[in-house]
Amino acid sequence: MAKRDAEAGAEPPDDYLEAAIQRLLTENTEIAEQGITVTRRDHSVVLCGEVESAQRREEILRLVLERFPQVPVTVDIGLIRTQAPTEVEELR
Amino acid sequence: MVIRIAAVGDVHLDQDVVGRFRPALEELPDTADVLLLAGDLTRHGTESEARCVATEFGGLGVPVVAVLGNHDYHCDEVPAVIRVLEDAGIVVLEGTNVVLDCTGVRLGIAGAKGFGGGFAGRCASEFGEPEMKDFVRTTSAISEQLGVALREMDCDVRVALTHYAPVPDTLAGEPPEIYPFLGSYLLGQAIDSAPTELALHGHAHAGSERGTTPGGVRVRNVAHPVIKQAYSVFHLHPPYAGATAGKVSAVSASGIS
Repeated sequence: MAKRDAEAGAEPPDDYLEAAIQRLLTENTEIAEQGITVTRRDHSVVLCGEVESAQRREEILRLVLERFPQVPVTVDIGLIRTQAPTEVEELR
Repeated sequence: MVIRIAAVGDVHLDQDVVGRFRPALEELPDTADVLLLAGDLTRHGTESEARCVATEFGGLGVPVVAVLGNHDYHCDEVPAVIRVLEDAGIVVLEGTNVVLDCTGVRLGIAGAKGFGGGFAGRCASEFGEPEMKDFVRTTSAISEQLGVALREMDCDVRVALTHYAPVPDTLAGEPPEIYPFLGSYLLGQAIDSAPTELALHGHAHAGSERGTTPGGVRVRNVAHPVIKQAYSVFHLHPPYAGATAGKVSAVSASGIS
Protein backbone atom coordinates (compact mmCIF):
# COMPACT_ATOMS: atom_id res chain seq x y z
CA MET A 1 0.00 0.00 0.00
CA ALA A 2 2.73 2.40 1.02
CA LYS A 3 4.69 1.49 -2.09
CA ARG A 4 1.73 2.17 -4.37
CA ASP A 5 1.14 5.53 -2.66
CA ALA A 6 4.78 6.40 -3.07
CA GLU A 7 4.64 5.62 -6.77
CA ALA A 8 1.55 7.76 -7.05
CA GLY A 9 3.41 10.61 -5.33
CA ALA A 10 0.97 10.51 -2.42
CA GLU A 11 3.24 9.17 0.31
CA PRO A 12 2.89 11.29 3.45
CA PRO A 13 6.02 13.28 4.27
CA ASP A 14 8.06 11.58 6.98
CA ASP A 15 9.86 12.74 10.09
CA TYR A 16 13.12 13.22 8.23
CA LEU A 17 11.54 15.62 5.79
CA GLU A 18 10.06 17.63 8.66
CA ALA A 19 13.50 17.88 10.28
CA ALA A 20 15.17 18.76 6.99
CA ILE A 21 12.78 21.65 6.32
CA GLN A 22 13.10 22.94 9.87
CA ARG A 23 16.88 22.97 9.63
CA LEU A 24 16.83 24.50 6.16
CA LEU A 25 14.76 27.45 7.38
CA THR A 26 17.12 28.05 10.30
CA GLU A 27 20.50 27.34 8.77
CA ASN A 28 20.02 29.02 5.39
CA THR A 29 21.21 32.53 6.20
CA GLU A 30 18.86 34.08 3.65
CA ILE A 31 16.07 32.87 5.94
CA ALA A 32 17.48 32.29 9.45
CA GLU A 33 14.02 31.67 10.90
CA GLN A 34 13.73 29.51 14.01
CA GLY A 35 10.09 30.35 14.65
CA ILE A 36 8.43 28.49 11.77
CA THR A 37 6.74 25.23 12.67
CA VAL A 38 6.63 22.45 10.11
CA THR A 39 3.56 20.26 10.50
CA ARG A 40 2.71 17.18 8.48
CA ARG A 41 -0.83 16.85 7.27
CA ASP A 42 -2.23 13.91 5.32
CA HIS A 43 -0.58 14.71 2.04
CA SER A 44 1.20 18.00 2.53
CA VAL A 45 3.43 19.99 4.82
CA VAL A 46 2.09 23.13 6.52
CA LEU A 47 4.52 25.93 7.33
CA CYS A 48 3.13 28.03 10.15
CA GLY A 49 4.40 31.03 12.10
CA GLU A 50 5.05 34.74 11.84
CA VAL A 51 7.84 36.70 10.17
CA GLU A 52 8.98 40.32 10.03
CA SER A 53 8.36 41.02 6.32
CA ALA A 54 6.37 39.79 3.32
CA GLN A 55 9.65 39.21 1.47
CA ARG A 56 10.69 36.68 4.11
CA ARG A 57 7.46 34.76 3.74
CA GLU A 58 7.93 34.61 -0.04
CA GLU A 59 11.56 33.57 0.34
CA ILE A 60 10.61 30.75 2.70
CA LEU A 61 8.10 29.35 0.22
CA ARG A 62 10.49 29.77 -2.71
CA LEU A 63 13.32 27.99 -0.93
CA VAL A 64 11.22 25.07 0.31
CA LEU A 65 9.66 24.52 -3.13
CA GLU A 66 13.09 24.70 -4.75
CA ARG A 67 14.66 22.21 -2.34
CA PHE A 68 11.69 19.83 -2.05
CA PRO A 69 9.83 20.16 -5.36
CA GLN A 70 7.90 16.91 -4.87
CA VAL A 71 6.34 17.99 -1.57
CA PRO A 72 2.97 19.80 -1.56
CA VAL A 73 3.41 22.80 0.73
CA THR A 74 0.79 24.96 2.41
CA VAL A 75 2.00 28.29 3.80
CA ASP A 76 0.20 29.84 6.75
CA ILE A 77 2.74 32.47 7.76
CA GLY A 78 1.64 35.88 8.97
CA LEU A 79 3.39 39.22 9.43
CA ILE A 80 4.00 40.35 12.99
CA ARG A 81 2.16 43.59 13.66
CA THR A 82 4.24 46.65 14.54
CA GLN A 83 1.67 49.12 15.84
CA ALA A 84 2.34 51.15 19.00
CA PRO A 85 0.76 49.62 22.11
CA THR A 86 -2.63 50.94 23.15
CA GLU A 87 -2.28 49.74 26.75
CA VAL A 88 0.48 49.61 29.32
CA GLU A 89 1.01 47.07 32.09
CA GLU A 90 0.99 48.63 35.55
CA LEU A 91 3.37 46.76 37.86
CA ARG A 92 2.74 47.65 41.49
CA MET B 1 7.78 58.33 40.70
CA VAL B 2 6.67 55.79 38.08
CA ILE B 3 9.35 54.43 35.76
CA ARG B 4 8.10 53.72 32.23
CA ILE B 5 9.93 50.94 30.43
CA ALA B 6 9.34 50.05 26.77
CA ALA B 7 10.72 46.74 25.58
CA VAL B 8 10.82 44.38 22.62
CA GLY B 9 13.06 41.53 21.52
CA ASP B 10 13.58 39.37 18.45
CA VAL B 11 13.06 42.07 15.84
CA HIS B 12 15.48 40.30 13.45
CA LEU B 13 16.27 43.34 11.36
CA ASP B 14 17.59 43.47 7.82
CA GLN B 15 16.93 45.90 4.98
CA ASP B 16 13.46 44.46 4.39
CA VAL B 17 12.27 45.44 7.88
CA VAL B 18 13.72 48.95 8.16
CA GLY B 19 10.94 51.49 8.69
CA ARG B 20 8.29 49.05 9.98
CA PHE B 21 8.85 49.88 13.66
CA ARG B 22 9.72 53.53 13.24
CA PRO B 23 6.22 55.12 13.35
CA ALA B 24 5.51 53.44 16.70
CA LEU B 25 9.01 54.22 17.97
CA GLU B 26 8.51 57.92 17.29
CA GLU B 27 5.90 57.95 20.09
CA LEU B 28 8.40 56.77 22.71
CA PRO B 29 9.53 60.15 24.09
CA ASP B 30 5.93 60.74 25.22
CA THR B 31 5.28 57.27 26.59
CA ALA B 32 8.51 55.77 27.99
CA ASP B 33 11.70 56.68 29.85
CA VAL B 34 13.82 54.00 28.18
CA LEU B 35 13.60 51.33 25.46
CA LEU B 36 15.09 47.92 26.18
CA LEU B 37 15.94 45.51 23.35
CA ALA B 38 16.02 41.85 24.42
CA GLY B 39 18.37 40.42 21.80
CA ASP B 40 18.09 38.95 18.29
CA LEU B 41 18.25 42.44 16.91
CA THR B 42 19.58 41.23 13.56
CA ARG B 43 18.62 38.42 11.20
CA HIS B 44 21.94 36.60 11.50
CA GLY B 45 24.48 38.91 13.02
CA THR B 46 26.15 40.82 10.19
CA GLU B 47 27.57 44.31 10.43
CA SER B 48 25.21 45.49 7.65
CA GLU B 49 22.19 44.18 9.55
CA ALA B 50 23.46 46.01 12.64
CA ARG B 51 23.40 49.20 10.58
CA CYS B 52 19.70 48.52 9.94
CA VAL B 53 19.18 48.23 13.71
CA ALA B 54 21.05 51.50 14.19
CA THR B 55 18.83 53.19 11.59
CA GLU B 56 15.61 51.86 13.11
CA PHE B 57 16.42 52.22 16.82
CA GLY B 58 18.92 55.10 16.83
CA GLY B 59 18.10 58.73 17.61
CA LEU B 60 14.77 57.97 19.29
CA GLY B 61 14.85 60.66 21.96
CA VAL B 62 14.93 58.07 24.77
CA PRO B 63 17.90 55.97 25.92
CA VAL B 64 18.08 52.57 24.19
CA VAL B 65 19.71 49.67 26.06
CA ALA B 66 20.19 46.26 24.42
CA VAL B 67 21.54 42.78 24.86
CA LEU B 68 22.47 40.56 21.94
CA GLY B 69 20.81 37.25 21.08
CA ASN B 70 21.92 34.02 19.45
CA HIS B 71 21.10 35.36 15.96
CA ASP B 72 23.42 38.30 16.57
CA TYR B 73 26.26 35.83 17.17
CA HIS B 74 25.76 33.67 14.07
CA CYS B 75 28.22 35.34 11.68
CA ASP B 76 30.97 35.84 14.27
CA GLU B 77 30.86 39.60 13.76
CA VAL B 78 29.92 40.48 17.34
CA PRO B 79 32.55 43.22 17.89
CA ALA B 80 31.51 44.97 14.66
CA VAL B 81 27.80 44.59 15.52
CA ILE B 82 28.37 46.12 18.96
CA ARG B 83 30.46 48.96 17.51
CA VAL B 84 27.76 49.88 15.00
CA LEU B 85 25.07 49.86 17.71
CA GLU B 86 27.16 51.89 20.13
CA ASP B 87 27.98 54.42 17.41
CA ALA B 88 24.22 54.93 17.10
CA GLY B 89 24.00 55.63 20.84
CA ILE B 90 22.61 52.22 21.80
CA VAL B 91 24.06 50.84 25.05
CA VAL B 92 24.93 47.14 24.65
CA LEU B 93 25.14 45.09 27.85
CA GLU B 94 27.12 41.84 27.93
CA GLY B 95 27.26 40.84 31.58
CA THR B 96 27.44 44.53 32.42
CA ASN B 97 25.13 47.25 33.69
CA VAL B 98 24.14 50.85 33.24
CA VAL B 99 22.38 53.26 35.60
CA LEU B 100 20.11 55.88 34.05
CA ASP B 101 18.66 58.94 35.76
CA CYS B 102 14.90 58.93 35.19
CA THR B 103 13.81 62.29 36.56
CA GLY B 104 15.48 61.72 39.89
CA VAL B 105 15.08 57.94 40.14
CA ARG B 106 18.17 55.87 39.42
CA LEU B 107 17.15 53.04 37.07
CA GLY B 108 19.74 50.26 37.00
CA ILE B 109 19.70 47.82 34.09
CA ALA B 110 21.89 44.72 34.12
CA GLY B 111 21.99 42.69 30.93
CA ALA B 112 23.42 39.53 29.44
CA LYS B 113 22.54 37.36 26.48
CA GLY B 114 22.18 34.29 28.67
CA PHE B 115 22.25 30.74 27.28
CA GLY B 116 20.48 27.40 27.54
CA GLY B 117 20.63 24.49 29.94
CA GLY B 118 17.08 24.01 31.14
CA PHE B 119 15.21 24.37 34.37
CA ALA B 120 15.27 22.79 37.80
CA GLY B 121 14.77 19.06 37.68
CA ARG B 122 15.14 18.93 33.90
CA CYS B 123 18.45 20.64 33.30
CA ALA B 124 21.84 19.86 31.85
CA SER B 125 24.73 19.22 34.24
CA GLU B 126 28.42 19.97 34.02
CA PHE B 127 29.28 16.31 33.55
CA GLY B 128 30.51 13.97 30.85
CA GLU B 129 31.83 15.00 27.47
CA PRO B 130 33.86 18.22 27.13
CA GLU B 131 31.16 19.63 24.82
CA MET B 132 28.50 19.09 27.48
CA LYS B 133 30.62 20.63 30.20
CA ASP B 134 31.40 23.62 27.96
CA PHE B 135 27.68 24.11 27.31
CA VAL B 136 26.79 24.26 31.00
CA ARG B 137 29.89 26.27 31.93
CA THR B 138 28.93 28.89 29.35
CA THR B 139 25.56 29.37 31.01
CA SER B 140 27.10 29.35 34.48
CA ALA B 141 29.64 32.02 33.56
CA ILE B 142 27.07 34.29 31.91
CA SER B 143 24.66 33.88 34.85
CA GLU B 144 27.44 34.67 37.30
CA GLN B 145 28.21 37.88 35.40
CA LEU B 146 24.54 38.83 35.36
CA GLY B 147 24.24 38.29 39.12
CA VAL B 148 27.28 40.45 39.84
CA ALA B 149 26.07 43.14 37.42
CA LEU B 150 22.70 43.24 39.20
CA ARG B 151 24.08 43.25 42.76
CA GLU B 152 26.83 45.81 42.26
CA MET B 153 24.59 48.60 40.93
CA ASP B 154 24.01 51.64 43.13
CA CYS B 155 20.45 52.48 42.07
CA ASP B 156 16.81 52.72 43.17
CA VAL B 157 15.25 50.25 40.71
CA ARG B 158 16.84 47.14 39.19
CA VAL B 159 15.79 45.61 35.87
CA ALA B 160 17.35 42.46 34.39
CA LEU B 161 17.53 42.16 30.61
CA THR B 162 18.37 38.88 28.88
CA HIS B 163 17.71 37.17 25.59
CA TYR B 164 17.31 33.63 26.96
CA ALA B 165 14.56 32.92 29.48
CA PRO B 166 15.24 32.81 33.24
CA VAL B 167 12.07 30.83 34.05
CA PRO B 168 9.95 28.20 32.28
CA ASP B 169 6.68 30.10 32.92
CA THR B 170 7.14 32.36 29.91
CA LEU B 171 7.93 29.40 27.64
CA ALA B 172 4.38 28.02 27.84
CA GLY B 173 3.40 27.34 24.23
CA GLU B 174 6.85 26.13 23.20
CA PRO B 175 7.44 22.37 22.88
CA PRO B 176 8.69 21.19 26.32
CA GLU B 177 11.41 19.21 24.53
CA ILE B 178 13.22 22.42 23.54
CA TYR B 179 13.06 24.22 26.91
CA PRO B 180 16.75 23.45 27.58
CA PHE B 181 17.60 25.45 24.44
CA LEU B 182 15.43 28.39 25.46
CA GLY B 183 16.81 29.30 28.86
CA SER B 184 18.24 28.31 32.19
CA TYR B 185 17.26 28.40 35.84
CA LEU B 186 20.76 29.79 36.53
CA LEU B 187 19.64 33.10 35.02
CA GLY B 188 16.64 33.12 37.36
CA GLN B 189 18.91 32.38 40.30
CA ALA B 190 21.11 35.34 39.31
CA ILE B 191 18.06 37.61 39.07
CA ASP B 192 16.87 36.45 42.49
CA SER B 193 20.29 37.20 43.99
CA ALA B 194 19.48 40.93 43.89
CA PRO B 195 16.36 42.95 44.72
CA THR B 196 15.26 42.96 41.08
CA GLU B 197 12.03 44.73 40.13
CA LEU B 198 11.47 43.23 36.68
CA ALA B 199 13.15 40.72 34.35
CA LEU B 200 12.67 40.96 30.59
CA HIS B 201 13.68 38.41 27.97
CA GLY B 202 12.95 37.28 24.42
CA HIS B 203 13.99 34.23 22.35
CA ALA B 204 10.85 32.12 22.89
CA HIS B 205 8.71 33.11 19.90
CA ALA B 206 5.92 30.70 20.76
CA GLY B 207 6.07 31.34 24.49
CA SER B 208 3.82 33.45 26.67
CA GLU B 209 4.09 36.86 28.28
CA ARG B 210 4.03 36.47 32.04
CA GLY B 211 5.89 34.60 34.73
CA THR B 212 7.74 35.00 38.01
CA THR B 213 11.04 33.74 39.34
CA PRO B 214 11.05 31.44 42.38
CA GLY B 215 12.02 34.57 44.36
CA GLY B 216 8.94 36.47 43.18
CA VAL B 217 10.46 38.74 40.53
CA ARG B 218 8.06 39.47 37.69
CA VAL B 219 9.29 38.10 34.34
CA ARG B 220 8.01 39.21 30.95
CA ASN B 221 8.74 37.63 27.57
CA VAL B 222 8.87 40.56 25.15
CA ALA B 223 9.75 38.60 21.99
CA HIS B 224 8.07 40.44 19.13
CA PRO B 225 6.02 37.42 17.96
CA VAL B 226 4.70 37.07 21.53
CA ILE B 227 3.71 40.69 22.21
CA LYS B 228 2.47 41.26 18.62
CA GLN B 229 3.08 45.01 18.74
CA ALA B 230 6.11 47.25 18.22
CA TYR B 231 6.97 47.13 21.94
CA SER B 232 5.31 46.69 25.30
CA VAL B 233 5.30 49.37 28.01
CA PHE B 234 5.60 48.59 31.72
CA HIS B 235 5.00 51.13 34.47
CA LEU B 236 7.03 50.36 37.58
CA HIS B 237 5.41 51.84 40.69
CA PRO B 238 7.17 52.44 44.01
CA PRO B 239 7.94 51.11 46.53
CA TYR B 240 10.61 49.27 44.57
CA ALA B 241 12.12 45.90 45.41
CA GLY B 242 14.95 46.39 47.86
CA ALA B 243 13.29 49.44 49.41
CA THR B 244 10.89 46.95 51.05
CA ALA B 245 11.21 43.26 51.77
CA GLY B 246 9.94 42.66 48.24
CA LYS B 247 6.61 42.90 46.48
CA VAL B 248 5.26 39.58 47.68
CA SER B 249 6.06 40.34 51.32
CA ALA B 250 4.69 43.87 50.98
CA VAL B 251 1.36 42.57 49.69
CA SER B 252 1.18 39.95 52.46
CA ALA B 253 1.96 42.54 55.11
CA SER B 254 -0.77 44.90 53.94
CA GLY B 255 -3.18 41.96 53.81
CA ILE B 256 -2.43 41.05 57.42
CA SER B 257 -2.77 44.61 58.69
